[in-house]
Amino acid sequence: MKQFILKIALFFAVTLFMMLLLDLAYTKVYQTSSPRTKIQFLRTLKGQKIDYIFIGSSRVESGIVPSIIEKKTGKKTLNLGFQAAKLHDIYTLLQLVQNYKIKHERIFIQVDYSYNINQASTIFQPEIIPFMHENEIYDNHLKFDSVHYKQYRYIPFFRYGRNDLKLGFREICLNLAKKKTNAVTYQGYSPLYGNAEKHHFPLPDKIHENNQYIKHIQKFCKKNKINVTFYTAPFCQHTTNLGFISQLKTKIPGLYDFSRTVKDENLFQNANHLNDNGAQYFTEIFADEVLTNK
Amino acid sequence: MLFNSLSYLFFLPVVFALYWLVNNKSLKLQNLLLLASSYFFYACWDWRFLFLLVFSTGLDYFTGLQMHNAKNQSHKKFWFWLSIIINLGFLGVFKYYNFFVDSFQELLSGFGIQSSFWTLQIILPVGISFYTFHGLSYVIDIYNDRIKPEKNIVDYSLFVSYFPLLVAGPIERATHLLPQLKKKRHFDYHKAMDGFYQILWGLFKKIVIADSCAAYANAIFDNYENANSATLLLGAIYFSFQIYGDFSGYTDIALGTSKLFGIDLLRNFNFPYFSRDIAEFWRRWHISLSSWFRDYLYIPLGGSKGGLKSKVRNTFIIFLVSGFWHGANWTFMVWGLLNAIYFLPLLLTNTNRNHIEIVAKGKSWPTVKEFFSILLTFCLTTFAWIFFRSETLGQAFTYIKNLFSFNFEGGIAYLDIDRYSVELLFLLFAFIVFEWFSREKEHPFFGKAKDILAVFVILMIVVFGVYSQASEFIYFQF
Repeated sequence: MKQFILKIALFFAVTLFMMLLLDLAYTKVYQTSSPRTKIQFLRTLKGQKIDYIFIGSSRVESGIVPSIIEKKTGKKTLNLGFQAAKLHDIYTLLQLVQNYKIKHERIFIQVDYSYNINQASTIFQPEIIPFMHENEIYDNHLKFDSVHYKQYRYIPFFRYGRNDLKLGFREICLNLAKKKTNAVTYQGYSPLYGNAEKHHFPLPDKIHENNQYIKHIQKFCKKNKINVTFYTAPFCQHTTNLGFISQLKTKIPGLYDFSRTVKDENLFQNANHLNDNGAQYFTEIFADEVLTNK
Repeated sequence: MLFNSLSYLFFLPVVFALYWLVNNKSLKLQNLLLLASSYFFYACWDWRFLFLLVFSTGLDYFTGLQMHNAKNQSHKKFWFWLSIIINLGFLGVFKYYNFFVDSFQELLSGFGIQSSFWTLQIILPVGISFYTFHGLSYVIDIYNDRIKPEKNIVDYSLFVSYFPLLVAGPIERATHLLPQLKKKRHFDYHKAMDGFYQILWGLFKKIVIADSCAAYANAIFDNYENANSATLLLGAIYFSFQIYGDFSGYTDIALGTSKLFGIDLLRNFNFPYFSRDIAEFWRRWHISLSSWFRDYLYIPLGGSKGGLKSKVRNTFIIFLVSGFWHGANWTFMVWGLLNAIYFLPLLLTNTNRNHIEIVAKGKSWPTVKEFFSILLTFCLTTFAWIFFRSETLGQAFTYIKNLFSFNFEGGIAYLDIDRYSVELLFLLFAFIVFEWFSREKEHPFFGKAKDILAVFVILMIVVFGVYSQASEFIYFQF
C-alpha cells in the first residue's frame, strides 16, 4: 500500500510539475510572441502615442476603420473594440491604456444597451488571462467577474486548460508561427462582409437607474484628465425601442447619437453590425461630424 | 459526478483511503462503505432517483428470495413475473412511455384522427437501463436455478449499485460479481497500479479523443443540411471515434476504479474497430450487453437451434431489441436493423464465428486482406452510426443523401475550427497506431516503459484535453 501511495504521489507531483512548466511556457509565449490579440497588441504600444483610441464592443470593432480616420485627420488611430465587450471591459481597457502610458489626444467610447449590463464579457476574459499575474488591472477584472478566479490564480495551467479554445495548444502554435490577425493588420478593425438575415432587434424598454462602470469610467477620465467622448453606433431600421437612446442621452450628457445615421440596409451585416462598406461609410461621417467638424 | 470531473478526483481518493486504511479488517464494513459511496455517487445526479434505485434493488432481492423459497412452480413463476413486469414497467414508463404515445398519435394522425394523449414531463433516471438489466439477469438466473439468491442485502445492493458500473455499465452478472463481493479483498499493488493505468487511458480516450471529436462531429451533424459530401464523411468518422473514445473510455475508468478496490469487472470493449467482420465487431463492442442479449434473449428464443429461419429471426430480434434498449427513438431501431442486415450474410454462410482471435495475433501488421476487411467493417459501422447520432430518421436520411451526392465543392468545412485543424486527424492516426500495438492487452500500459508512457499520456491529457466544453458520457442517456 505504501509503495502504491508513494507512486501515485509521484505521478501527481510530476503532473503538477508539468503543469507548472507548461504554464510558464505558455505565458512566456503569449508575452513575447508577435501580437495576435488586441491585448497583446496593446502591450506592445507601451509609451507610444496614439491620437485617437476607440473602445467598445463588436459594434466598434467592425464599425470604425482607423485607416480612414488617419487619412482624413492625419492622426494615428487605434480600434480597441472587442466582441461582446461591456462597460466593465471598457473600464479595464481604459485603465490599461493609462497603465501602459499610451499617450492619446482623445478617447471614444461606444455605449448603447450595454448601459443596462453590469457584468463583464466572457469573450473578453481569455484575452487577458495570460497576463493576470502581470498587474492588478487584469487581476481585478478577473477577480470580480470570473467564477474560476481562484483556480486560475492558484492551479498552474488551469487558466489555459479551461480556455483551451482560445488559449490552448493551437493558439500557442499560431503564436509561435507568427500568424497575423486583424488585431494588428488593420489597427484593430475587423471587417464583416455581406448581408446576413436582418433580425428584429429590440433595444430594452427601460434604462437602468445607473451603471457602476460608467461612473468609474467618468471618474477615471476626470482624474486622469482624459478627453473622452461617448457615442452610440448605428442600428439598422429593424431596431425598435430607440427611445432607449434618448434615455441614454440623459444619463450621459454630450453623447453623440449615430443610432439612425445609416439608413441603407445594404450597409449592415446584421441588425446591429455594419458590414465593411457600412463601416467605411460610417467612419467617414463620424470623422466629419466629430473630428473635423465639417 | 462525472468520472472526468474535479469532484470525482476528490471522491475517489477519499473512498479508496477509507476502504483500505479504515475498513481493511472487515469485509462487511468494506462492502457497506462501497454501498454508501455508491448511493452518494448516484445521489449527486439527482437524489430523488435514489429511491427508485433502492426500490428496484429491494424488489429483486425480495423476489429472488421468494422464488427460492416458493413451495411450487406456480408460486415461483408468480414472483418471477412480478419482478419482470415491475422492472420492465419502470423502464417502460421512464424511458419509453412518451415515445409510444407520440408514435401512436402520429399513427392516428396518419389516418386523419387527431388525438391528444397525456405525456409525462419526466427526466430519465441516469443508469436505469443498466441497473434494471443487472436486476433482471439476477432474477432470471434464480428462476432458472443457475444461482441461489443472495441473502445479505448489503452485498446484493452493492452488486446492483456498485458505483463504477452504476450509470453506464458494464452490465455485470451475479455469477461474476457477487462471489467477489463475498470474498475478503487484500490490497494488491500490481492490480491497483493496473487500475491506475487503465483510468489514465480511459481519461485520455474521453478527454482527448472523444471530446475533441465531439466538437467537430456536433458542428457537422448540427449543420448537415448545408455540408458537402467530404464534410459529412468527416463528421461520420469523427462520431465513430467520439462514441468509441467516450464509451470505452468510460469503461476503462470504471474497470480501473474497480481494480483499485480489488474487484474485477467484466471487460466491455476489446478493440472493436480492428474487427474483420460485423460479427467480430459485436463480440468486441459493448460485450456485456451483447452477451446479456445472447444469454437472456437469443438463447431462450431458441438461439441457433431450429434451423436457419429461426436463427435469422432470433438475430433480427436481438439487434432490434438492442437498438431499442439504447433509446426511445426510431433512429436506434434502424441502427439495430442495419446491424442485423450486416450480420445476415455471415449467418447465411455460417461464417459468423470465423474471427474469434484478435487480428494478426503475434504479428506486427495485418495482411492486405485483413486490412481491407477491417476497413470495410469500419465503414459499415460508421454508416450505421449516422442513424445512432441523428435525432430523427429524416435527419439521418438527409445526411446520407447528401453524403452520397458526391458534392465536394468548397472543400471540407469544419476541418478547421477553433480547437484543431488537420492535426486532429494526426492525433486520431496516432491513437489508432497506439491501440494497434496494444491490441493483445487490455490497455497500452505494459512492459518496462509503462511509467514513462504514463507520464507521456498525462502530458497529452493536460495539453490536448478538452476542458472548456467537456461533455457528459454519451451512454449516460441510456
